[in-house]
Amino acid sequence: MTNVVVAGDRTAWRGRLGAEPVAARPPLDARRALQLVLAAIWLLDGVLQYQGFMFTKAFNQMLAGTATGNPAVIAKPVTWNATLIDHHMVLLNAIFATVQLLLGLGIAFRPTVRIALAASILWALGVWWFGEGLGGVLSGAASPLNGAPGAVIIYALLAVLLWPADRAGPAPFAAARAVGAPVARLLWAVLWLSLAYFALTPANRAPQGVSGMIAGMESGEPVWLQDLQKGAASLVAGQGLATSIVLAAALVLIAAGVYLPPRTASSTLVLAIVVAAFTWVFGEAFGGILTGGGTDVNSGPLLALLALAYWPRRTVSATPATVTAVSEGGAQ
Amino acid sequence: MTPAWILDIFAAIMLVVAAISAARLVAARPWQRGAVVTDTDIAHLLMGIAMAGMLASGLTTLPDGAWAALFCVLTIWFGYRVVRDYRANGARALAVGHCAPHLVHSAAMVYMFLAIAAPASAGAAGMAGMGGMTGMSTLSVPTLAFVFALILIGYTVWDLDQLSGLRYGLAVTVAVSTTPAAALAGPSAGVVSTGAVPVLTSPAIVVGCRIAMGVTMALMLVIMI
Repeated sequence: MTNVVVAGDRTAWRGRLGAEPVAARPPLDARRALQLVLAAIWLLDGVLQYQGFMFTKAFNQMLAGTATGNPAVIAKPVTWNATLIDHHMVLLNAIFATVQLLLGLGIAFRPTVRIALAASILWALGVWWFGEGLGGVLSGAASPLNGAPGAVIIYALLAVLLWPADRAGPAPFAAARAVGAPVARLLWAVLWLSLAYFALTPANRAPQGVSGMIAGMESGEPVWLQDLQKGAASLVAGQGLATSIVLAAALVLIAAGVYLPPRTASSTLVLAIVVAAFTWVFGEAFGGILTGGGTDVNSGPLLALLALAYWPRRTVSATPATVTAVSEGGAQ
Repeated sequence: MTPAWILDIFAAIMLVVAAISAARLVAARPWQRGAVVTDTDIAHLLMGIAMAGMLASGLTTLPDGAWAALFCVLTIWFGYRVVRDYRANGARALAVGHCAPHLVHSAAMVYMFLAIAAPASAGAAGMAGMGGMTGMSTLSVPTLAFVFALILIGYTVWDLDQLSGLRYGLAVTVAVSTTPAAALAGPSAGVVSTGAVPVLTSPAIVVGCRIAMGVTMALMLVIMI
């Protein structure tokens, strides 16, 4: 901080950068850094939930719409939830926003990181069902370009993988520290293979499937983003099948990447980040945040964050089985 | 529109921040020789009052133009400080320095006041505060609001991590000399003290205020999109 030193009629300014009584600078390892990014995303979600749009009927209708196409066992609770929110719109939405805000703050605050991550898993699972209708997984509406299998379930997955615990032995990447490398790799493969599957569903491989989806996100966006999306939509217009096949192939490659030698795995993780970035910009339009009606950042940033959690640590061998990881310090 | 009572709660938090900053300034006894007054407290005091006025129309104090001009000055000041820190510490000053977050806060305030002023000049009504503002949604550059909100949230999360990691203690270094030269000498010229006033003047309180300020400012920016 900077100080103004007042002495008689003389005033001087001085800086005391880093001059505070420092007890100990906390260690910031890769996992803690990823936790902080997750905290920031939760915090942003909480802030977004306070937007005026969320206190209108339109938000409620958006929630109710996720019941469409789902089996009754899934759809009925979604409809019940939408009705409940309709009756107590302001109070419940204020609670939703505050919960997400607290989750973000809790994850960022070291003493509460465990309880906040655990609460985020429960919250995410609840929202996935009652608020997102399981992300359209069972309704046939899911697409890797529009946030399948539901952005919120990726929050839960990240909370599990970034849980502040360490298994015995070195971990080849940050996501393996809590659950072990085999489980972490399996979760990664299941997620990305499911995305590949969704890319090939009839709705997505239809000639105008991808193009229509991108064009459908233009409404209310800033002009520069609309222009980007118009360009992308026209590029893939009538090419639904080809686009889906290319996308699915990339997703399968990404899914298999974590089983490959570290150097190759890094390449597939870069591909995953690129796919996530394209998805976020063109398919999700930054989660609709710039329209004033986005409830969250959608799946793009979360997929990128997930990819970073699988980034290989120091390697000494070409096979995953013999990868040697550098022990990471810190308890978080 | 976001309910007024929610905005009132955040306005109250901003007033608390302003009150704490004012108390810190008073505790520094600026009327005495060799007193040490932090510019971050001045910034927090001004921002707290200004943001409370934006959130609750009944708390409006100065015209938007006056606030914009004030925060322009603060932005320039913190910009100068960041450049100095950058020269001294490199890029690290931007990530973990103390002035970079305040630079972003000040710049975001300038942006918000200019963004609010824009629809007012177009004849929109009810511009006195966010609680009664419909013109907030007519921001000309919402992307900038989003970028500011992202940076503010990033600094907030970082501050929370560092605060909980005990980088900032609740004890404070108090300059014992009354000469400016001794005060300029930094913490080595002081003693670590505890108690009610030292806790108030501790770095942890500043960071706590900055966290509250960052969250509220990000909220305001997002609501303005």
